[in-house]
Amino acid sequence: MNTTDLSQTPIAADGRFEVHLQKSGQTLQVATDQSILKVLQDAGHDAPFSCAEGICGTCLTPVLAGRPDHWDSYLTPEEQEKGDCIMLCCSRSQTARLVLDL
Amino acid sequence: MFIKNTWYVACSVADLNALGNKPLGRTICNQQMAFFKGPDGQVAAVEDFCPHRGAPLSLGKVCNGRLVCGYHGLEMGCEGKTVHMPGQRVRGFPAIQSYAVVERYGFVWVWPGDQAKVDVAKMPVFEFFDNPAWAYGGGLYHVKADYRLMIDNLMDLTHETYVHATSIGQPEIDESPCETRVDGEQVILQRHMAGIQAPPFWQMAMSANGLDPQAKVDRWQICRFTPPSHIMIDVGVALAGKGGFGAAPEHKAYSVVVDFITPETETSHWYHWGMARQFKPEDAALTDKIRAGQGGIFNEDMAMLQLQQVNISKWPERKLLMLNIDSGGVQSRRIIDRLLAEENNTPITA
Repeated sequence: MNTTDLSQTPIAADGRFEVHLQKSGQTLQVATDQSILKVLQDAGHDAPFSCAEGICGTCLTPVLAGRPDHWDSYLTPEEQEKGDCIMLCCSRSQTARLVLDL
Repeated sequence: MFIKNTWYVACSVADLNALGNKPLGRTICNQQMAFFKGPDGQVAAVEDFCPHRGAPLSLGKVCNGRLVCGYHGLEMGCEGKTVHMPGQRVRGFPAIQSYAVVERYGFVWVWPGDQAKVDVAKMPVFEFFDNPAWAYGGGLYHVKADYRLMIDNLMDLTHETYVHATSIGQPEIDESPCETRVDGEQVILQRHMAGIQAPPFWQMAMSANGLDPQAKVDRWQICRFTPPSHIMIDVGVALAGKGGFGAAPEHKAYSVVVDFITPETETSHWYHWGMARQFKPEDAALTDKIRAGQGGIFNEDMAMLQLQQVNISKWPERKLLMLNIDSGGVQSRRIIDRLLAEENNTPITA
């Protein structure tokens, strides 16, 4: 059994990370050429979204563990620094695992 | 293609003011713009394109110096940055193009080109605006013809005899040769007629200035083109033998025909025309009378140019003749072509 807390581990050199969905208990792999939103959609999750480029805020989702790598222009620098929420459409992860409130 | 790194008249300040809280949508050099008054009352110009869903912002209204889109209420600021949107955070919205504007001489001037090259010092200078020694009256026509046809028209006044036969035309124009010269970026074309009868428009002006309208006169037309497309024409009559253009003010009736020609598309333009005069500048009724007369005369030009454009568009491959009377237009177009080439060889930085 893996005892390392991946939400505290820096992201792998290849840019891959995993998202764990707290409510459904599911864990999904996010490749470098995929957005979290795309992975969720492919897995059958109907995540709300609109602009898909980090402007509108529709896909704003709480982060429970792990550290987001923000690429949006919706959150203020202060909100981004806090790291308790993420735009699924364009932002990524600084840690090997992100735990989302989904 | 148009010269874009320059100032064009976009509209008169009065026309913008008359719209109240509505913006003015106007296409200049193929660029759709929306003009409105910002928070401090200064005029701003932005792309006429809402960054939200592409609606023309000019269909909206102006509220507290913001241009509010008429579709979903997006509020656009003077710099092209969205400042508010109902129920939506706007900090990440991409900006739209904004354009430098200058309010001067009763007009809003716009720089449609590279905004990094905006230069207020390049604004043309006119002595007759905002000057109590002069009166100015004018109007605006939307002409469905290439703006260069208007330049050709104004840099060749032999057409007056035919197009304006009942007002300013007279056979002596045809009979008097014109002289064209180029002075740097200015083209000057002039014609002087000595000892003739004044045509109706000038008889009216002579009467207004206390001169005998039946007296023989010396008449002049001095057309001056400067880029991108401004044409000022000294026109007038002086009692014969008193020195013509150089005669003392009490012997003449004269004015400057003011033409600001702003391209809209390849086959249409906005034509701000007017007349500045030094005689009886305080006589507002005379200003109105001259404006009405000039408006009627220039309407005749518009009718001709629009049908000329229809013909040219129908037969685009047909080469037109450039005769001796056309040298003013030919030289003006040469300057435009040279400036266009210069502008388009220079790297665009924005």
